[in-house]
Amino acid sequence: MKNLKNVFIAAFALAIIGSCYKSKLNQPAPGELTAEEIATKKGVDGLLIGAYSMLDGLGGSPAITYANSTSNWIYGSICGSEAYKGSIQGDQQQITDAEIFIANANNIYFDSKWGGAYEGVQRANSVLRNMRLAKDMSTADTIEAKAEALFLRAFYHFEAKKMWNKIPFVDESVTYDAGNYHIVNSTTWVHIENDLIYAVNNLPRTQAAIGRANKYAAEALLAKAYMFENKFAQAKPLLADLITNGETAGGSKYALDSQYNNNFNIQYKNSAESVFACQNSVNDGSGGSNGDQGDALNFPVNSPVTGCCGFFQPSQYLVNHFKTDPVTGLPDLDNFNEVAVHNDEGLQSSDPFTPYSGTLDPRLDWTVGRRGIPYLDWGVDPGFNWVRDQSFSGPYLPIKNVYYQAQAAMYVDNDWNQLTAMNINLIRFADVLLWAAEAEVEIGSLDQAEVYVNMIRKRAANPAGFVHTYVDPSNPATGFTNTPAANYFIKPYPPGYFATQGQTIARKAVRYERMLELAMEGHRFFDLVRWGIAATEINAYFLKEKNLRTYMNGAVFTPNKNEYFPIPQTEIDLSKGPSGIPAMTQNPGY
Amino acid sequence: MKKWNYSKPVKIFTLTIIVYFKCCAAFSQQKISGYVRDMDDKLPLSSASIIIEGTNTGTSTDNNGFFRLIAKKGSTLVFSYLGYTPQEVTIGNDTVLNIPLSKIISGLDEVVVTGYTSQKIKEITGAVSVVSTADLTSVPDGEIEKILQGKVAGLTVIASGEPGVPPNIRINGIGNFGDVTPLYIIDGVQGDINQLNPNDIESIQVLKDAGSYSIYGVRGANGVLVITTKKGKSGKATMNFDNYTGVQEPLSHGLDLLNPQGQADLIWLALKNSGQVDPITGNPSSALYGNGPVPVLPDYVVNGNGYPSGAPQVEPSAYNIAPGMPINQIIKFNKQGTDWFHELFKPASIQNYVFSASGGSDKNHYLFSVGYLDQEGTFLETYLKKFTARINTDFNINNAIRFGENLQLTQSQLGSGSNTSAVLFTDPWLPVYDIKGNYSSENDADAGPADNPVAAQKLSKDNKNTNWQVFGNAFAEVDIFKGLALRSSFGGTFNFYNFYNYAYGPYDPAVGLDSFTENTGYSSSWTWTNTLNYSKVFAKKHSLKILAGTENVSNYMRGQGGTSKGYFSDDPNLRFLGNGDGVPSDQTVFSAATVSFLSSFISRAEYGYDDKYFFTATLRNDGSSVFGPENRFGWFPALSAAWRITQENFLKNSSWLTDLKLRGSWGESGYNGNTNPLNQFTVYGGSNGQSFYDIFGTGTSVVQGYNRVQYGNAKTGWQKDIMTDAGFESLLWNGKLSITADWYDKKSSGLLFPVALPALLGYGTPPNVNVGEVENKGVNVTIGSKGKFSKDLKWDLNMAITAYKSKVVKLNGMTDFYDAGTASISAGPIVDNAIGYPLGSFYGYKIIGIFQNQTEVNNSPAQEDKGVGRFRYLDANGDGVITDADRVHFGDPNPKFTAGINIGLTYKDFDFSTFNYWVCGNDVMDMLGESADIFPGLVFQPKSKAALYDSWTPQNPNAKIPIVEYDQNFSNNAVINSYPLEKGSYFRNKTMILGYTLPASFLQKFKINKFRVYAEVTNLFTITKYKGLDPELSGTSAAYGIDFGNYPNNQKQYLIGINLNF
Repeated sequence: MKNLKNVFIAAFALAIIGSCYKSKLNQPAPGELTAEEIATKKGVDGLLIGAYSMLDGLGGSPAITYANSTSNWIYGSICGSEAYKGSIQGDQQQITDAEIFIANANNIYFDSKWGGAYEGVQRANSVLRNMRLAKDMSTADTIEAKAEALFLRAFYHFEAKKMWNKIPFVDESVTYDAGNYHIVNSTTWVHIENDLIYAVNNLPRTQAAIGRANKYAAEALLAKAYMFENKFAQAKPLLADLITNGETAGGSKYALDSQYNNNFNIQYKNSAESVFACQNSVNDGSGGSNGDQGDALNFPVNSPVTGCCGFFQPSQYLVNHFKTDPVTGLPDLDNFNEVAVHNDEGLQSSDPFTPYSGTLDPRLDWTVGRRGIPYLDWGVDPGFNWVRDQSFSGPYLPIKNVYYQAQAAMYVDNDWNQLTAMNINLIRFADVLLWAAEAEVEIGSLDQAEVYVNMIRKRAANPAGFVHTYVDPSNPATGFTNTPAANYFIKPYPPGYFATQGQTIARKAVRYERMLELAMEGHRFFDLVRWGIAATEINAYFLKEKNLRTYMNGAVFTPNKNEYFPIPQTEIDLSKGPSGIPAMTQNPGY
Repeated sequence: MKKWNYSKPVKIFTLTIIVYFKCCAAFSQQKISGYVRDMDDKLPLSSASIIIEGTNTGTSTDNNGFFRLIAKKGSTLVFSYLGYTPQEVTIGNDTVLNIPLSKIISGLDEVVVTGYTSQKIKEITGAVSVVSTADLTSVPDGEIEKILQGKVAGLTVIASGEPGVPPNIRINGIGNFGDVTPLYIIDGVQGDINQLNPNDIESIQVLKDAGSYSIYGVRGANGVLVITTKKGKSGKATMNFDNYTGVQEPLSHGLDLLNPQGQADLIWLALKNSGQVDPITGNPSSALYGNGPVPVLPDYVVNGNGYPSGAPQVEPSAYNIAPGMPINQIIKFNKQGTDWFHELFKPASIQNYVFSASGGSDKNHYLFSVGYLDQEGTFLETYLKKFTARINTDFNINNAIRFGENLQLTQSQLGSGSNTSAVLFTDPWLPVYDIKGNYSSENDADAGPADNPVAAQKLSKDNKNTNWQVFGNAFAEVDIFKGLALRSSFGGTFNFYNFYNYAYGPYDPAVGLDSFTENTGYSSSWTWTNTLNYSKVFAKKHSLKILAGTENVSNYMRGQGGTSKGYFSDDPNLRFLGNGDGVPSDQTVFSAATVSFLSSFISRAEYGYDDKYFFTATLRNDGSSVFGPENRFGWFPALSAAWRITQENFLKNSSWLTDLKLRGSWGESGYNGNTNPLNQFTVYGGSNGQSFYDIFGTGTSVVQGYNRVQYGNAKTGWQKDIMTDAGFESLLWNGKLSITADWYDKKSSGLLFPVALPALLGYGTPPNVNVGEVENKGVNVTIGSKGKFSKDLKWDLNMAITAYKSKVVKLNGMTDFYDAGTASISAGPIVDNAIGYPLGSFYGYKIIGIFQNQTEVNNSPAQEDKGVGRFRYLDANGDGVITDADRVHFGDPNPKFTAGINIGLTYKDFDFSTFNYWVCGNDVMDMLGESADIFPGLVFQPKSKAALYDSWTPQNPNAKIPIVEYDQNFSNNAVINSYPLEKGSYFRNKTMILGYTLPASFLQKFKINKFRVYAEVTNLFTITKYKGLDPELSGTSAAYGIDFGNYPNNQKQYLIGINLNF
């Protein structure tokens, strides 16, 4: 027994000595990529890909998918009078609040959009920070990585700048570790421009991967920034260079596609007209997350396309823009909204209906789905049955983001048929031409402006690019005839028209053309604001449109307030530094 | 040694007898026999122990209290029985000894396990409350919260009514913003109280002050519950069987909601008040209700549009929910309204079975128990099925060596849980089934059955969430010499879980697919404790105890799982990951692990003088791997002292004051339990959909990319708590009355919480940082009284009063306030933990009325969207304009006090007990009520009757609800304001039990020791002004007292049960 006791005591002694486990207090991070591992050439390129992947506004955190889309269908198009929220009353009420300008700083859509933009900014910054730590990157490698990262950082700041104007500029020195993140929201355009100037000077003309930014993408974004500041003198030479020398990252010289609708056809993405785009993909193992998520609600309901969700319905006001003069083929810049393009509101699909027979710009039916017109290869739009709630938000459907039935197998997600591989056209060449036209109107030649506008109109006039009727309307898959689906009639402005009419009319014509060409692409609201005519235009829109859409009764755009959206209250609250006073201040009027 | 066979207790008993005779053969002296009885009621005490002093020899009494042994004349017999004062008798000439034992007055000499050692209650210098099973016999022990709630002053338990959802347990207020769960030490090893079979618990010691819990160092600051499980006792094997069965009834009233006509009228009113009408007709319009001056209820609904009977769209032949053709689900509009509350809440049954056997010799003891609980929840398809088994044994090898083990096996199974707020997210017009008997779906025809809350629950019935746990320890003790013992304990938990869930997709697979997820994983943790214990009494009056030791704790978790989609059919038998459609993009997998380590040194010295003065000092050093190297190690000291005044001569013979002990303590402890082991690392990650990108523009493939997924903070250390406590424990009139009271001041600094970071830093999980300091001051008072009205009628009263004030003292770093994690609320955070305010304070715009007319609107401070019938907010800073700076702390979810009141009465063989719980002076944010009362915002949702009939109109100027409007705005409910604020006080009769114990004389014929039957009703009544379902609201420690439609915990339950001992 004595021995047994000694054995126990000895075992205890060993146990206590053996239990000095201080070394075990250094535990690794199992399964995680730490900062050391990411600071390599491979890691930095991965971070850059990660920074590109925010181009859709989504990734990294559960955001409100539809709020964040860089297609800006809500803030650019719906808030810009091109479309109604759609769907049914109350569904995503935050969008209606934005649409009728009652949204306040607690509207979660803004917080979400803000988060997406700054996640993009910080992903770009992550490239810059880790690039400097990497030991296996050459100088050329770092210049290229930096140029792409600064381009992206500028893009994301731009997304925020046009929404809120008063935004903080966040460069790579702003980190959690440094604790320097209580920043005054006083970014000037110069911050954004500086990043872009570096990108213009250091990016190559072409890239091995078509999705990467090249020199001309940077030049175009820089020109856009100048346009937002009305710095036409700076913009003009850049735009001229783009038009003369610009090419895509894939090496195609910039040009308008022969057919307008190719811009909205997945098969033709990354064409010569695509200056910079968010590359969307499906069936890639992500369960649809890399598809065009931001636009996932914007499909007809109860249709063969999808079952849901009926958002983003074009406004009557937008449709009326597309009327053309039966003689001149030109739009009526002043009185377009006096007489409406008639529609099927109040009619069931089973009720007879004859579409509008007047002359129309052919781009209408690639912009708006309307009763009686072929809806891509899905069949003739039946009106009521494909609309979620006609009485709430009218008879029209969005179409630019919609895929062809023939493409469904390849370019639509297996998981959810509202996610497609449709790119988001962030800048297309038509956009560049129209900025150039604007710049010419303001500080250059009205004739040259007219040349640019007419390039756009001539392309639109290509009959091959019209919507055509089906060979067999009961079986749309059999294809199209050569018969236009409606009475399309469009002409370029007669030579010298702009010069004859003078600057004011020319300006109006260029702006009107932007609406026709770029409608439903998320630009309109921001254009109205930079032109300084948002209050007049939007209040005029409400005055007329409230007769159609009851929820617009009483809606008003307050000048010097609603030009910019409210800065999310949460972000103001979180900008309190040690002083206890928020570094950021709210936009005027909120 | 002979191998013990647990399943044959009788054999062990026989063996004991053999050992006994062998031992005693050496003495071969006098034969002694007799009875051991309770001094008061003269009932026999079975299994009382009789030991010959100075030896390990002895015996125990049988069921009749009879014993027999052989001992030398002049030797001393020690008679002892748990809960009774031991008695020593020197053997003289009497060979028959009838020994009456007296019950220990409130157990002052009772030995209880505290930190690492055991102590006599009278010697404890810290604030320790003991809950022993003796106090629990009248409570059916299905739920751990019933044992604890209201029994211990300072211990707050808030339970959910949902089976299997663990209660929130807090000690002494709320010490941080994260996790305030106390440390559970079960038989010396950190464990999970929810995995225990409550019937296996012998006693729970609640360590409430630094003097008692600082010995647990970096894990101790939330307080410690030291739980001791039952052990076998020397003597004949006894067996227990307990069973109860019963039913729980859903709340009868549910929510007071509008019927479909009222709902439609309300929508019309909202649209009209908001001017959202046709400019010509002046009528609103909607797809459901037409466009007339009044809403017309349709007969049918298809794809969100209303149709009258006979419309072609509602011809049964047009019905389709099968894939391939457009979905055309035809739903009959339920004009009477569907009572979703009672469609979802149904009566539920509960059953519990416990069997245990225990016994042992004087040297070796065993206990074996099995239990099974089958509890349904009233919410459809919620349940808990829990199987537990326990084997506890201990062995004395010789005088110097002891070892043993405690082992627990648990299997518990839950369904996929509840979604109680669905009650308020489903329109009253929607029937449960469509015209063909399939589940209806509200929002979109193709949303599928998951859109219907009844369907969502019923279709979840094959989803399971199962957990298996092995928990326990093995220990050995050796006495090096008298007074010095070494102890080593190695124990831990091995936990394995499996979870699978089948989610029904929409009716149309083109819209979305059925999806199946299965996750499994394990966690493995071990604790190895080695202690050296020295105890000696010098000169009879000076007692000294010294403890020193080391402890290492290792935790490892690993899990993996996957999701697969596109199942051939909904057959539950096909629900395996490999049976999906096999499309790569329809499958996802994951695996993950975490690891952490704690290494510690423990020490304590106790000095006692003459049973009068007691001093204790503890010191612990901890190193924790969850913190970066800079702040990894720390020292945790504590000092405490006690003075038993009644041992002083001047009070020794007091006629009324039986015992009075004054206590005081001060100490430091820590908390690391909130912190992820990855906290110190900045982590990058890459996942498809989050950071991968189609940089080559293929449309169908991606390139890997990365992003930062977590911010690291290497400087974060643990939360440090400094606590001072002063108190007294008293017994008056021999225990007829007992009062224990404590005052404490607890400062918790360096609170660990993920700091809210501005979005301009980018996404990523924020690290826990040491965000601030909270102070809790409180008073805990326990008042007990027991005694007899007459020979047959006895009372036993206990009241535990808990009162604390918590206050945020300091918030470190960059932000001077902290908004709790309620970001999911679109209107902004409800809680702001700010300096100078109580924890969890409700925050927002304070409503000071409703604008009655335009003049009032014009004359009031500038306020966004101000208008007649809308809320008027307080201009807190008086600057004439309502801005975010005017948000104030308008509510406090912390009660002024809580009290648990236990009343027990026994009359002859009947016992009656009732437990009442009183929570007083707390505020509640009734968010569910708000969304029912105020129209804008959640316009699909059913609304309350008050929304239509008692909202503001010029004719109803005193309404609380603002004017009915369609859109949210700043001046109705687009921001958090004080509308949802309500008083949350309640008084609840939690349990009422009536039991009857059959007479022993009768039972003896059947060799039964005890047979009791009882009936119990829980939640018989609640007195409250709260208008929501239940003011007992759990939550996180940063945001609580907020009612989002919590699972009610006030449903009545009726039980009958038996306790059988043989």
